[in-house]
Amino acid sequence: MKTLILGEVIDNKLSSGTLEIINKANDLELDFNVVTVGSSDTPALGSITFHQTYIKRSAESLQFNYVADKLLQIIQEQNISLVLAPSTYQCRDLVSFLSVDLGSSPVSNVINFDIQDGSVITTNLINGGESVYKTKIRSSHSLLLIRPKSFDAIDIELNDDYETTEVENSSIEIFDVVKEEKSGPQLEDSKIVISAGRGMVEKENLSLIEDLANKLNAAIGGTRAIVDAGWMPYSQQVGQTGKTVKPDVYIACGISGATQHQVGMKDSKFIIAINKDAEAPIFQLADLGIVGDTLSVIPKINDNI
Amino acid sequence: MNITVCAKQIPDPASEITYDNGLISRPEEQVLDDTDRYGIEIALQLKEKYNAEVTVISMGPAGTQKGLQQALQMGADKTLYVDDDSLKGANSLMTASVLSELAKTTEADIVIFGTESTDGYTGTVPQQVARFLKLDCISYIKAIEISENVTLTRQTLEGSEKVIMPQKCILSVTAGGVEPRYPNFKDIMAAKQKPIEKVELSSLTMNASQNLEFLDIQQLENSKNGETIVDEGDAYQVVIEKLQELKVI
Repeated sequence: MKTLILGEVIDNKLSSGTLEIINKANDLELDFNVVTVGSSDTPALGSITFHQTYIKRSAESLQFNYVADKLLQIIQEQNISLVLAPSTYQCRDLVSFLSVDLGSSPVSNVINFDIQDGSVITTNLINGGESVYKTKIRSSHSLLLIRPKSFDAIDIELNDDYETTEVENSSIEIFDVVKEEKSGPQLEDSKIVISAGRGMVEKENLSLIEDLANKLNAAIGGTRAIVDAGWMPYSQQVGQTGKTVKPDVYIACGISGATQHQVGMKDSKFIIAINKDAEAPIFQLADLGIVGDTLSVIPKINDNI
Repeated sequence: MNITVCAKQIPDPASEITYDNGLISRPEEQVLDDTDRYGIEIALQLKEKYNAEVTVISMGPAGTQKGLQQALQMGADKTLYVDDDSLKGANSLMTASVLSELAKTTEADIVIFGTESTDGYTGTVPQQVARFLKLDCISYIKAIEISENVTLTRQTLEGSEKVIMPQKCILSVTAGGVEPRYPNFKDIMAAKQKPIEKVELSSLTMNASQNLEFLDIQQLENSKNGETIVDEGDAYQVVIEKLQELKVI
Protein backbone atom coordinates (compact mmCIF):
# COMPACT_ATOMS: atom_id res chain seq x y z
CA MET A 1 0.00 0.00 0.00
CA LYS A 2 1.60 3.27 -1.17
CA THR A 3 1.92 5.35 1.98
CA LEU A 4 2.75 8.90 2.94
CA ILE A 5 3.92 9.62 6.47
CA LEU A 6 3.23 13.24 7.36
CA GLY A 7 5.98 14.26 9.75
CA GLU A 8 6.79 17.15 11.99
CA VAL A 9 9.96 18.94 13.12
CA ILE A 10 10.72 19.59 16.78
CA ASP A 11 14.03 21.04 17.95
CA ASN A 12 15.41 20.77 14.40
CA LYS A 13 14.81 16.99 14.27
CA LEU A 14 12.03 14.65 13.18
CA SER A 15 9.52 14.57 16.06
CA SER A 16 9.24 11.43 18.17
CA GLY A 17 5.65 10.96 16.93
CA THR A 18 6.99 10.80 13.38
CA LEU A 19 9.71 8.29 14.32
CA GLU A 20 7.09 6.09 16.04
CA ILE A 21 4.99 5.95 12.86
CA ILE A 22 8.05 5.19 10.70
CA ASN A 23 8.82 2.24 12.96
CA LYS A 24 5.29 0.86 12.60
CA ALA A 25 5.37 1.39 8.82
CA ASN A 26 8.59 -0.63 8.68
CA ASP A 27 7.00 -3.41 10.76
CA LEU A 28 4.09 -3.61 8.31
CA GLU A 29 6.53 -3.43 5.38
CA LEU A 30 4.65 -0.48 3.90
CA ASP A 31 6.06 1.27 0.83
CA PHE A 32 6.33 4.78 2.26
CA ASN A 33 7.71 8.27 1.69
CA VAL A 34 7.98 10.91 4.37
CA VAL A 35 6.83 14.50 3.92
CA THR A 36 7.71 16.75 6.81
CA VAL A 37 6.24 20.18 7.48
CA GLY A 38 8.11 22.69 9.62
CA SER A 39 9.58 26.15 9.77
CA SER A 40 13.19 25.33 10.83
CA ASP A 41 15.91 26.35 8.36
CA THR A 42 18.07 23.24 8.16
CA PRO A 43 16.58 20.43 10.23
CA ALA A 44 18.04 16.92 10.32
CA LEU A 45 15.26 14.89 8.74
CA GLY A 46 16.60 12.60 6.07
CA SER A 47 17.59 8.99 6.22
CA ILE A 48 19.10 6.55 3.76
CA THR A 49 16.14 4.25 4.39
CA PHE A 50 13.34 6.45 2.99
CA HIS A 51 12.65 9.29 0.61
CA GLN A 52 11.89 12.59 2.27
CA THR A 53 10.38 15.90 1.17
CA TYR A 54 10.50 18.89 3.49
CA ILE A 55 7.77 21.49 3.07
CA LYS A 56 9.31 24.53 4.69
CA ARG A 57 6.57 26.81 5.89
CA SER A 58 7.02 30.39 6.97
CA ALA A 59 7.04 31.08 10.70
CA GLU A 60 5.43 34.44 9.88
CA SER A 61 2.43 33.37 7.83
CA LEU A 62 -0.47 31.01 8.49
CA GLN A 63 -0.27 28.93 5.31
CA PHE A 64 -1.72 25.55 6.19
CA ASN A 65 -4.24 25.74 3.33
CA TYR A 66 -1.35 26.06 0.88
CA VAL A 67 0.60 23.31 2.62
CA ALA A 68 -2.46 21.05 2.25
CA ASP A 69 -2.64 21.93 -1.48
CA LYS A 70 0.99 20.87 -1.85
CA LEU A 71 0.35 17.63 0.05
CA LEU A 72 -2.64 16.87 -2.16
CA GLN A 73 -0.44 17.32 -5.21
CA ILE A 74 2.14 14.87 -3.80
CA ILE A 75 -0.59 12.35 -2.89
CA GLN A 76 -1.96 12.45 -6.43
CA GLU A 77 1.44 12.37 -8.17
CA GLN A 78 2.67 9.45 -6.11
CA ASN A 79 -0.62 7.50 -6.08
CA ILE A 80 -0.70 7.49 -2.29
CA SER A 81 -3.60 5.61 -0.71
CA LEU A 82 -2.63 5.67 2.99
CA VAL A 83 -1.71 8.83 4.94
CA LEU A 84 -0.31 8.42 8.46
CA ALA A 85 0.19 11.42 10.73
CA PRO A 86 0.82 12.04 14.42
CA SER A 87 -2.18 13.57 16.19
CA THR A 88 -0.65 17.02 16.74
CA TYR A 89 -2.13 20.49 16.17
CA GLN A 90 -0.49 21.00 12.81
CA CYS A 91 -1.16 17.51 11.46
CA ARG A 92 -4.78 17.58 12.63
CA ASP A 93 -5.32 20.75 10.58
CA LEU A 94 -3.57 19.35 7.50
CA VAL A 95 -5.20 15.90 7.55
CA SER A 96 -8.65 17.47 8.07
CA PHE A 97 -8.14 19.73 5.04
CA LEU A 98 -7.00 16.75 2.97
CA SER A 99 -10.01 14.68 4.08
CA VAL A 100 -12.32 17.17 2.34
CA ASP A 101 -10.25 17.14 -0.86
CA LEU A 102 -10.04 13.33 -0.91
CA GLY A 103 -13.64 12.74 0.25
CA SER A 104 -12.47 10.39 2.98
CA SER A 105 -13.25 10.91 6.65
CA PRO A 106 -10.09 10.49 8.75
CA VAL A 107 -9.88 8.23 11.81
CA SER A 108 -8.71 10.17 14.89
CA ASN A 109 -7.08 8.93 18.10
CA VAL A 110 -5.68 5.81 16.46
CA ILE A 111 -3.60 3.65 18.81
CA ASN A 112 -2.96 0.76 16.42
CA PHE A 113 -3.66 -0.27 12.83
CA ASP A 114 -3.17 -3.11 10.43
CA ILE A 115 -3.77 -3.92 6.77
CA GLN A 116 -6.12 -6.85 6.08
CA ASP A 117 -7.04 -7.90 2.53
CA GLY A 118 -6.05 -4.49 1.22
CA SER A 119 -8.14 -2.53 3.76
CA VAL A 120 -6.90 -0.51 6.70
CA ILE A 121 -8.32 -1.59 10.07
CA THR A 122 -7.75 0.82 12.95
CA THR A 123 -8.02 0.60 16.71
CA ASN A 124 -9.04 4.04 17.93
CA LEU A 125 -10.10 5.65 21.20
CA ILE A 126 -13.50 7.29 21.59
CA ASN A 127 -15.32 9.13 24.34
CA GLY A 128 -12.22 10.55 25.98
CA GLY A 129 -10.44 7.21 25.89
CA GLU A 130 -13.14 5.35 27.81
CA SER A 131 -13.69 2.87 24.97
CA VAL A 132 -11.89 1.59 21.88
CA TYR A 133 -13.35 1.07 18.43
CA LYS A 134 -12.23 -1.19 15.66
CA THR A 135 -12.92 0.53 12.36
CA LYS A 136 -12.53 -0.62 8.76
CA ILE A 137 -11.84 2.10 6.21
CA ARG A 138 -13.74 1.57 2.97
CA SER A 139 -12.55 4.48 0.82
CA SER A 140 -9.75 4.62 -1.74
CA HIS A 141 -7.76 6.85 0.60
CA SER A 142 -7.25 6.09 4.29
CA LEU A 143 -6.28 8.94 6.62
CA LEU A 144 -5.08 8.16 10.15
CA LEU A 145 -4.27 10.52 13.02
CA ILE A 146 -2.17 8.50 15.43
CA ARG A 147 -1.82 9.19 19.14
CA PRO A 148 1.75 9.70 20.34
CA LYS A 149 3.50 6.80 22.14
CA SER A 150 1.32 4.22 20.39
CA PHE A 151 4.49 2.60 19.01
CA ASP A 152 8.18 2.65 19.94
CA ALA A 153 10.25 5.24 18.09
CA ILE A 154 12.69 3.97 15.48
CA ASP A 155 16.33 4.61 16.28
CA ILE A 156 17.92 5.91 13.08
CA GLU A 157 20.62 8.36 12.17
CA LEU A 158 19.20 11.48 10.58
CA ASN A 159 21.00 13.45 7.88
CA ASP A 160 20.30 16.39 5.62
CA ASP A 161 19.52 14.32 2.54
CA TYR A 162 16.07 15.53 1.52
CA GLU A 163 14.30 17.75 -0.96
CA THR A 164 13.01 21.11 0.25
CA THR A 165 9.99 22.85 -1.17
CA GLU A 166 8.19 26.02 -0.08
CA VAL A 167 4.65 27.34 -0.31
CA GLU A 168 3.35 30.87 -0.80
CA ASN A 169 2.46 33.14 2.11
CA SER A 170 -1.17 33.70 3.06
CA SER A 171 -2.69 37.06 3.96
CA ILE A 172 -2.65 36.09 7.66
CA GLU A 173 0.51 37.19 9.39
CA ILE A 174 1.84 35.44 12.47
CA PHE A 175 3.46 37.55 15.19
CA ASP A 176 4.60 37.32 18.84
CA VAL A 177 5.76 33.71 18.54
CA VAL A 178 6.48 32.32 22.01
CA LYS A 179 8.50 29.17 22.67
CA GLU A 180 7.85 27.84 26.14
CA GLU A 181 11.05 27.37 28.11
CA LYS A 182 12.18 23.80 28.55
CA SER A 183 14.39 22.97 31.49
CA GLY A 184 15.22 19.76 33.34
CA PRO A 185 14.01 16.29 32.28
CA GLN A 186 11.34 16.38 29.56
CA LEU A 187 7.98 14.67 29.99
CA GLU A 188 8.14 12.57 26.84
CA ASP A 189 11.41 10.85 27.61
CA SER A 190 11.90 10.96 31.38
CA LYS A 191 11.95 7.63 33.22
CA ILE A 192 10.08 9.16 36.14
CA VAL A 193 7.15 11.56 35.90
CA ILE A 194 5.50 13.30 38.84
CA SER A 195 2.14 14.90 38.07
CA ALA A 196 0.05 17.31 40.08
CA GLY A 197 -3.70 17.82 40.20
CA ARG A 198 -6.25 19.95 42.02
CA GLY A 199 -5.44 18.09 45.23
CA MET A 200 -2.30 20.25 45.49
CA VAL A 201 -4.83 22.98 46.50
CA GLU A 202 -2.76 25.98 45.40
CA LYS A 203 0.00 26.84 42.99
CA GLU A 204 2.54 27.57 45.75
CA ASN A 205 2.36 23.92 46.86
CA LEU A 206 3.85 22.81 43.55
CA SER A 207 7.25 23.56 45.15
CA LEU A 208 6.77 20.23 47.01
CA ILE A 209 6.50 18.46 43.65
CA GLU A 210 9.55 20.35 42.33
CA ASP A 211 11.60 19.27 45.36
CA LEU A 212 10.67 15.63 44.84
CA ALA A 213 11.31 15.89 41.08
CA ASN A 214 14.80 17.30 41.76
CA LYS A 215 15.59 14.44 44.11
CA LEU A 216 14.38 11.78 41.66
CA ASN A 217 15.56 13.54 38.47
CA ALA A 218 11.93 13.38 37.31
CA ALA A 219 9.89 15.42 34.84
CA ILE A 220 6.85 17.32 36.10
CA GLY A 221 3.37 17.10 34.57
CA GLY A 222 -0.09 18.30 35.45
CA THR A 223 -3.79 17.78 34.79
CA ARG A 224 -5.83 19.93 32.47
CA ALA A 225 -7.54 21.53 35.48
CA ILE A 226 -4.31 23.00 36.85
CA VAL A 227 -3.02 23.97 33.40
CA ASP A 228 -6.30 25.82 32.73
CA ALA A 229 -5.90 27.45 36.14
CA GLY A 230 -2.51 28.77 35.01
CA TRP A 231 -0.36 26.82 37.49
CA MET A 232 1.70 25.21 34.71
CA PRO A 233 2.26 25.83 30.99
CA TYR A 234 0.29 23.75 28.51
CA SER A 235 3.46 21.94 27.47
CA GLN A 236 3.29 20.10 30.80
CA GLN A 237 -0.29 18.88 30.47
CA VAL A 238 -0.67 15.10 30.56
CA GLY A 239 -3.81 13.59 29.05
CA GLN A 240 -6.07 13.37 26.05
CA THR A 241 -5.44 16.93 24.85
CA GLY A 242 -1.93 17.10 26.28
CA LYS A 243 1.02 14.74 26.28
CA THR A 244 1.06 10.97 26.51
CA VAL A 245 3.76 9.59 28.78
CA LYS A 246 5.00 6.05 29.45
CA PRO A 247 7.66 6.35 32.15
CA ASP A 248 8.94 3.55 34.37
CA VAL A 249 7.35 5.27 37.38
CA TYR A 250 4.44 7.72 37.37
CA ILE A 251 3.54 9.45 40.61
CA ALA A 252 0.07 11.05 40.58
CA CYS A 253 -0.26 13.64 43.34
CA GLY A 254 -3.73 14.90 44.19
CA ILE A 255 -5.14 13.69 40.87
CA SER A 256 -8.61 12.14 40.81
CA GLY A 257 -7.97 10.48 37.45
CA ALA A 258 -10.61 11.49 34.90
CA THR A 259 -10.52 9.26 31.79
CA GLN A 260 -9.10 12.20 29.84
CA HIS A 261 -6.09 12.21 32.17
CA GLN A 262 -5.79 8.40 32.23
CA VAL A 263 -5.37 8.27 28.44
CA GLY A 264 -2.13 10.20 28.84
CA MET A 265 -0.50 8.04 31.52
CA LYS A 266 -2.19 4.64 31.96
CA ASP A 267 0.56 2.75 30.12
CA SER A 268 3.22 3.86 32.62
CA LYS A 269 5.03 0.79 33.97
CA PHE A 270 4.44 1.47 37.67
CA ILE A 271 1.86 3.95 38.93
CA ILE A 272 1.84 5.43 42.43
CA ALA A 273 -1.22 7.51 43.34
CA ILE A 274 -1.63 9.73 46.38
CA ASN A 275 -5.12 11.14 46.93
CA LYS A 276 -7.40 11.99 49.83
CA ASP A 277 -10.48 10.47 48.20
CA ALA A 278 -10.45 6.67 48.48
CA GLU A 279 -13.06 6.51 45.68
CA ALA A 280 -10.92 8.45 43.17
CA PRO A 281 -10.72 6.58 39.83
CA ILE A 282 -6.91 6.96 39.81
CA PHE A 283 -6.71 4.15 42.41
CA GLN A 284 -8.12 1.70 39.84
CA LEU A 285 -5.00 2.29 37.77
CA ALA A 286 -2.48 2.47 40.58
CA ASP A 287 0.00 -0.27 41.42
CA LEU A 288 0.47 1.45 44.76
CA GLY A 289 -2.27 3.73 46.11
CA ILE A 290 -1.91 5.93 49.17
CA VAL A 291 -5.21 7.24 50.53
CA GLY A 292 -4.04 10.38 52.27
CA ASP A 293 -3.32 14.08 51.99
CA THR A 294 -0.71 14.69 49.30
CA LEU A 295 0.34 17.85 51.11
CA SER A 296 1.41 15.85 54.15
CA VAL A 297 2.78 12.72 52.40
CA ILE A 298 5.06 14.44 49.85
CA PRO A 299 7.05 16.58 52.36
CA LYS A 300 7.74 13.43 54.41
CA ILE A 301 9.02 11.62 51.32
CA ASN A 302 11.18 14.65 50.50
CA ASP A 303 12.65 14.73 54.01
CA ASN A 304 13.51 11.04 54.02
CA ILE A 305 15.25 10.43 50.70
CA MET B 1 -21.79 40.73 10.64
CA ASN B 2 -23.15 37.21 11.08
CA ILE B 3 -21.52 34.99 13.63
CA THR B 4 -22.35 31.29 13.75
CA VAL B 5 -21.35 28.91 16.51
CA CYS B 6 -21.47 25.14 16.19
CA ALA B 7 -22.71 23.38 19.29
CA LYS B 8 -23.41 19.78 20.12
CA GLN B 9 -25.84 18.15 22.50
CA ILE B 10 -24.24 15.24 24.36
CA PRO B 11 -25.38 12.82 27.08
CA ASP B 12 -24.77 14.32 30.53
CA PRO B 13 -21.06 13.52 31.18
CA ALA B 14 -21.94 12.78 34.83
CA SER B 15 -24.11 9.84 33.79
CA GLU B 16 -22.83 6.48 32.60
CA ILE B 17 -22.36 6.18 28.84
CA THR B 18 -24.03 3.20 27.19
CA TYR B 19 -23.65 1.97 23.63
CA ASP B 20 -26.02 0.52 21.09
CA ASN B 21 -24.33 -1.36 18.25
CA GLY B 22 -21.21 0.76 18.70
CA LEU B 23 -23.03 4.09 18.85
CA ILE B 24 -23.34 6.14 22.02
CA SER B 25 -26.95 5.85 23.22
CA ARG B 26 -28.46 9.31 23.24
CA PRO B 27 -31.15 9.91 25.85
CA GLU B 28 -34.07 12.29 25.11
CA GLU B 29 -32.47 14.86 27.37
CA GLN B 30 -28.96 15.84 26.35
CA VAL B 31 -26.91 18.79 27.54
CA LEU B 32 -24.72 21.38 25.86
CA ASP B 33 -21.16 20.09 25.48
CA ASP B 34 -19.02 22.16 27.87
CA THR B 35 -16.42 22.48 25.11
CA ASP B 36 -18.92 24.56 23.12
CA ARG B 37 -19.39 27.08 25.92
CA TYR B 38 -15.96 28.52 25.08
CA GLY B 39 -16.95 29.03 21.45
CA ILE B 40 -20.26 30.60 22.43
CA GLU B 41 -18.47 32.95 24.84
CA ILE B 42 -16.14 34.16 22.10
CA ALA B 43 -19.12 34.62 19.77
CA LEU B 44 -20.85 36.76 22.40
CA GLN B 45 -17.74 38.89 22.92
CA LEU B 46 -17.54 39.47 19.15
CA LYS B 47 -21.29 40.19 19.06
CA GLU B 48 -20.74 43.06 21.47
CA LYS B 49 -17.99 44.54 19.29
CA TYR B 50 -19.68 44.18 15.92
CA ASN B 51 -23.31 44.36 16.99
CA ALA B 52 -23.65 41.02 15.22
CA GLU B 53 -26.30 38.34 15.28
CA VAL B 54 -25.22 35.02 16.82
CA THR B 55 -26.76 31.85 15.40
CA VAL B 56 -26.12 28.43 16.93
CA ILE B 57 -26.10 25.52 14.50
CA SER B 58 -26.25 21.89 15.56
CA MET B 59 -26.59 18.40 14.19
CA GLY B 60 -27.86 15.33 16.04
CA PRO B 61 -30.93 14.01 17.85
CA ALA B 62 -32.68 17.13 19.19
CA GLY B 63 -34.68 15.35 21.94
CA THR B 64 -35.88 17.81 24.58
CA GLN B 65 -33.57 20.48 23.10
CA LYS B 66 -32.11 21.18 26.55
CA GLY B 67 -28.59 21.69 25.22
CA LEU B 68 -29.81 24.04 22.51
CA GLN B 69 -31.73 26.01 25.16
CA GLN B 70 -28.56 26.24 27.23
CA ALA B 71 -26.76 27.83 24.26
CA LEU B 72 -29.57 30.39 23.90
CA GLN B 73 -29.51 31.06 27.64
CA MET B 74 -25.89 32.13 27.38
CA GLY B 75 -26.97 34.82 24.91
CA ALA B 76 -27.09 33.39 21.37
CA ASP B 77 -29.97 34.81 19.30
CA LYS B 78 -31.36 31.75 17.54
CA THR B 79 -30.71 28.09 16.74
CA LEU B 80 -30.86 26.04 13.56
CA TYR B 81 -30.56 22.29 13.80
CA VAL B 82 -30.61 19.18 11.65
CA ASP B 83 -31.99 15.97 13.17
CA ASP B 84 -32.28 13.09 10.76
CA ASP B 85 -32.12 9.34 11.42
CA SER B 86 -29.95 8.80 8.36
CA LEU B 87 -27.16 10.74 10.10
CA LYS B 88 -26.84 8.19 12.93
CA GLY B 89 -23.17 7.25 13.17
CA ALA B 90 -22.18 9.99 10.71
CA ASN B 91 -18.42 10.34 10.38
CA SER B 92 -16.64 13.66 10.92
CA LEU B 93 -16.64 14.54 7.22
CA MET B 94 -20.41 14.02 6.91
CA THR B 95 -20.91 16.11 10.05
CA ALA B 96 -18.68 18.85 8.64
CA SER B 97 -20.58 18.76 5.35
CA VAL B 98 -23.95 19.27 7.08
CA LEU B 99 -22.58 22.04 9.32
CA SER B 100 -20.97 23.79 6.33
CA GLU B 101 -24.29 23.82 4.49
CA LEU B 102 -26.07 25.10 7.60
CA ALA B 103 -23.42 27.83 7.99
CA LYS B 104 -24.11 28.86 4.38
CA THR B 105 -27.79 29.34 5.15
CA THR B 106 -26.84 31.74 7.97
CA GLU B 107 -24.52 33.68 5.60
CA ALA B 108 -21.91 33.41 8.35
CA ASP B 109 -18.81 35.61 8.26
CA ILE B 110 -17.25 33.92 11.26
CA VAL B 111 -17.97 30.31 12.27
CA ILE B 112 -16.77 29.27 15.73
CA PHE B 113 -16.18 25.79 17.19
CA GLY B 114 -14.77 24.16 20.29
CA THR B 115 -11.69 22.13 19.33
CA GLU B 116 -13.27 18.70 19.82
CA SER B 117 -16.50 17.31 21.23
CA THR B 118 -16.39 15.51 24.57
CA ASP B 119 -17.97 12.32 23.18
CA GLY B 120 -16.72 11.81 19.62
CA TYR B 121 -13.42 13.60 20.16
CA THR B 122 -12.26 13.51 16.52
CA GLY B 123 -11.07 17.14 16.62
CA THR B 124 -11.28 17.52 12.84
CA VAL B 125 -14.68 19.11 12.13
CA PRO B 126 -13.70 22.84 12.39
CA GLN B 127 -10.89 22.40 9.87
CA GLN B 128 -13.08 20.33 7.55
CA VAL B 129 -15.79 23.03 7.59
CA ALA B 130 -13.10 25.62 6.78
CA ARG B 131 -11.99 23.60 3.78
CA PHE B 132 -15.58 23.02 2.60
CA LEU B 133 -16.29 26.77 2.85
CA LYS B 134 -12.85 27.72 1.43
CA LEU B 135 -12.13 29.96 4.41
CA ASP B 136 -9.04 30.33 6.57
CA CYS B 137 -9.05 28.31 9.76
CA ILE B 138 -7.57 29.85 12.90
CA SER B 139 -7.35 26.77 15.09
CA TYR B 140 -6.57 26.11 18.79
CA ILE B 141 -7.29 29.66 20.00
CA LYS B 142 -6.33 30.04 23.63
CA ALA B 143 -6.85 33.78 24.13
CA ILE B 144 -8.68 36.67 22.47
CA GLU B 145 -8.08 40.41 22.79
CA ILE B 146 -10.74 42.64 21.32
CA SER B 147 -9.75 46.26 20.58
CA GLU B 148 -9.67 47.96 17.18
CA ASN B 149 -8.63 44.62 15.76
CA VAL B 150 -9.32 41.18 17.16
CA THR B 151 -6.06 39.48 18.17
CA LEU B 152 -6.15 35.72 18.56
CA THR B 153 -3.47 33.71 20.37
CA ARG B 154 -3.03 30.19 18.96
CA GLN B 155 -1.70 27.26 20.95
CA THR B 156 1.20 25.60 19.12
CA LEU B 157 3.29 22.54 19.85
CA GLU B 158 6.17 24.61 21.18
CA GLY B 159 4.27 27.54 22.73
CA SER B 160 1.98 30.11 21.13
CA GLU B 161 1.63 32.64 18.33
CA LYS B 162 -0.73 35.50 17.48
CA VAL B 163 -2.73 36.49 14.41
CA ILE B 164 -5.23 39.23 13.60
CA MET B 165 -8.69 37.78 12.91
CA PRO B 166 -9.64 38.17 9.22
CA GLN B 167 -13.10 39.43 8.14
CA LYS B 168 -14.24 35.95 7.22
CA CYS B 169 -12.86 32.79 8.82
CA ILE B 170 -13.38 29.69 10.95
CA LEU B 171 -12.19 29.67 14.57
CA SER B 172 -11.61 26.72 16.89
CA VAL B 173 -11.31 27.57 20.57
CA THR B 174 -9.57 25.54 23.28
CA ALA B 175 -10.97 25.11 26.77
CA GLY B 176 -9.69 27.64 29.28
CA GLY B 177 -9.10 30.38 26.69
CA VAL B 178 -12.02 32.45 27.90
CA GLU B 179 -14.34 32.25 30.90
CA PRO B 180 -17.82 31.21 29.69
CA ARG B 181 -20.59 33.34 31.19
CA TYR B 182 -23.31 31.90 33.42
CA PRO B 183 -26.86 32.83 32.47
CA ASN B 184 -28.99 34.52 35.16
CA PHE B 185 -32.72 34.02 35.68
CA LYS B 186 -33.58 36.76 33.19
CA ASP B 187 -31.37 35.15 30.51
CA ILE B 188 -33.01 31.78 31.12
CA MET B 189 -36.51 33.25 30.74
CA ALA B 190 -35.51 35.28 27.65
CA ALA B 191 -34.11 32.15 25.95
CA LYS B 192 -37.60 30.59 25.93
CA GLN B 193 -38.74 33.23 23.44
CA LYS B 194 -35.84 32.71 21.03
CA PRO B 195 -36.38 30.72 17.82
CA ILE B 196 -35.21 27.11 17.52
CA GLU B 197 -35.72 26.04 13.92
CA LYS B 198 -35.39 22.58 12.41
CA VAL B 199 -33.81 22.40 8.96
CA GLU B 200 -34.63 19.37 6.82
CA LEU B 201 -31.58 17.41 5.73
CA SER B 202 -33.19 17.03 2.28
CA SER B 203 -32.89 20.80 1.78
CA LEU B 204 -29.10 20.65 2.15
CA THR B 205 -26.48 19.28 -0.23
CA MET B 206 -24.48 16.37 1.22
CA ASN B 207 -20.86 16.40 0.10
CA ALA B 208 -19.56 13.36 1.99
CA SER B 209 -20.39 9.72 2.53
CA GLN B 210 -19.79 6.99 5.10
CA ASN B 211 -16.38 5.42 4.53
CA LEU B 212 -15.84 4.09 8.07
CA GLU B 213 -17.31 0.73 8.95
CA PHE B 214 -17.75 -0.01 12.63
CA LEU B 215 -16.46 -3.48 13.49
CA ASP B 216 -16.27 -3.69 17.25
CA ILE B 217 -16.24 -1.74 20.51
CA GLN B 218 -14.58 -2.56 23.78
CA GLN B 219 -14.69 -0.71 27.05
CA LEU B 220 -11.22 -0.38 28.50
CA GLU B 221 -10.66 -2.37 31.66
CA ASN B 222 -8.56 -0.31 33.96
CA SER B 223 -8.71 -2.21 37.19
CA LYS B 224 -5.23 -3.26 38.22
CA ASN B 225 -5.93 -4.54 41.74
CA GLY B 226 -2.90 -2.71 43.03
CA GLU B 227 -2.02 -2.34 46.70
CA THR B 228 -3.86 0.45 48.54
CA ILE B 229 -2.81 1.84 51.90
CA VAL B 230 -4.61 4.36 54.06
CA ASP B 231 -2.09 6.90 55.34
CA GLU B 232 -1.83 7.04 59.10
CA GLY B 233 1.27 9.21 59.06
CA ASP B 234 3.85 6.72 57.84
CA ALA B 235 2.68 5.75 54.34
CA TYR B 236 5.62 7.80 53.00
CA GLN B 237 7.87 4.91 54.10
CA VAL B 238 6.01 2.49 51.83
CA VAL B 239 6.48 4.89 48.91
CA ILE B 240 10.21 5.23 49.60
CA GLU B 241 10.63 1.45 49.92
CA LYS B 242 8.82 0.97 46.63
CA LEU B 243 10.99 3.59 44.90
CA GLN B 244 14.08 1.77 46.22
CA GLU B 245 12.72 -1.56 45.01
CA LEU B 246 12.13 0.00 41.57
CA LYS B 247 15.73 1.23 41.73
CA VAL B 248 14.86 4.87 41.09
CA ILE B 249 16.58 5.95 44.31
